[in-house]
Amino acid sequence: MIASFSWPRLHRVLPALDWLRRQRVPLALAALALLAWPLRSVLEASMSLHMLVQFPLVIALGCVLAGALPARWRERTQGWNTYGIAGLTACALVLSVLMIPRLLDLALVHPVVAAGKWLALLACGAALQLSWRRAGLVVQGFFLGNVLPMMGVAGQLYQDSPLRLCNAYLLQDQLWLGQALVVLAVAVAVVWIAAAMRSLMRSSQTLPAEAQP
Amino acid sequence: MLRTASLCAVLLWAAYACAGWLTHDYQVWTEEGARRLEVALKPVPLPPVTVEGPGVPARDLRALAGNGREVTIVDFFYTRCVTVCLSLGTTFQQMQAALQRDAKDAHVRLLSISFDGERDTPGDLARYAQRMQADPAWWRFVRVTDAAATQRLLADLRVVVVPNGRGDFEHNAALLVLDAQGRLVRVFDLSEQQLALDYARHLAEGGRL
Repeated sequence: MIASFSWPRLHRVLPALDWLRRQRVPLALAALALLAWPLRSVLEASMSLHMLVQFPLVIALGCVLAGALPARWRERTQGWNTYGIAGLTACALVLSVLMIPRLLDLALVHPVVAAGKWLALLACGAALQLSWRRAGLVVQGFFLGNVLPMMGVAGQLYQDSPLRLCNAYLLQDQLWLGQALVVLAVAVAVVWIAAAMRSLMRSSQTLPAEAQP
Repeated sequence: MLRTASLCAVLLWAAYACAGWLTHDYQVWTEEGARRLEVALKPVPLPPVTVEGPGVPARDLRALAGNGREVTIVDFFYTRCVTVCLSLGTTFQQMQAALQRDAKDAHVRLLSISFDGERDTPGDLARYAQRMQADPAWWRFVRVTDAAATQRLLADLRVVVVPNGRGDFEHNAALLVLDAQGRLVRVFDLSEQQLALDYARHLAEGGRL
């Protein structure tokens, strides 16, 4: 039953989803405007909301917007993004720069840094969308093998630091963020490994059939 | 593949350059570290704000701390604070004792500025000074007279005060050394009390920055 569950059926059951899919660009832009203006001060009031809610939401919107690009444009990026390597490199680099504590402080008071942060997060989401499927398990594994340990170590450092790393945020908040980053890194690793095992098991089942002449 | 590799190289260079700018060539990782480095490279003049306190009639902070004769070690605090300000108080007590002992330290002064000027009245400051056994010849307490000026002073000296939601504040407590012209020339960590004192003595004796 579950295996036969597919997107076209879901669309018949829930036409709203289809509408959402067709209107995803204006919706994503509206969500972006909401995040950038009325919700900005709320989400930047705490270190954990800033990094664990605002960052992922902007990355997700970057994903949605890149997914809506015309097929011709997406194909054009292929030559520059073999196996998604350039895209995932861009993502890893953006995430490492954004984990420098000074950036969180500067993004609150320095408009140029704030604009750079938003563009980098959108680009990160777009690069992820354009590269993830293309990458395959090996490149995906290499990417996550770099990003997740970095995230875990950053989380541990945030927890261990007796001093506040950001002048604008509370020490307790930094502790929560550190714990959440470690949990997130482990959770993403577990989910990816499970998905990778599933896909490997599936491909090994279909292999004999493909091997036949 | 060549195009992918060259794009990766450009991305790596761009990230290296951005992170280098953000961390002052990989020397500091936090805004507080950057603040201390930037102050050491380029002294920050005090803004014109009026302060008052026990034994200090309302006057321009620059006249108090930049009178051309004395080097001042400044801290920011509020009287109801029961955490870091208390350790700042102890640090200042020890520095006061060191200054009182040594006659050649005649040109180093201590100044505690309250950033909660709305609640810390001159009476509160006087009581606090008494509790700290502050000798007004060496160590004075003031508040900024109005809220806008307080914000101006905090912004210029890059003191960040965050309300913690329980009526208290967390702030980047440090030892700020002002030269005789009233410019912030160094920011020392609380643990660098001896270094801050020695540096202030060196400046007061006519040493160079």
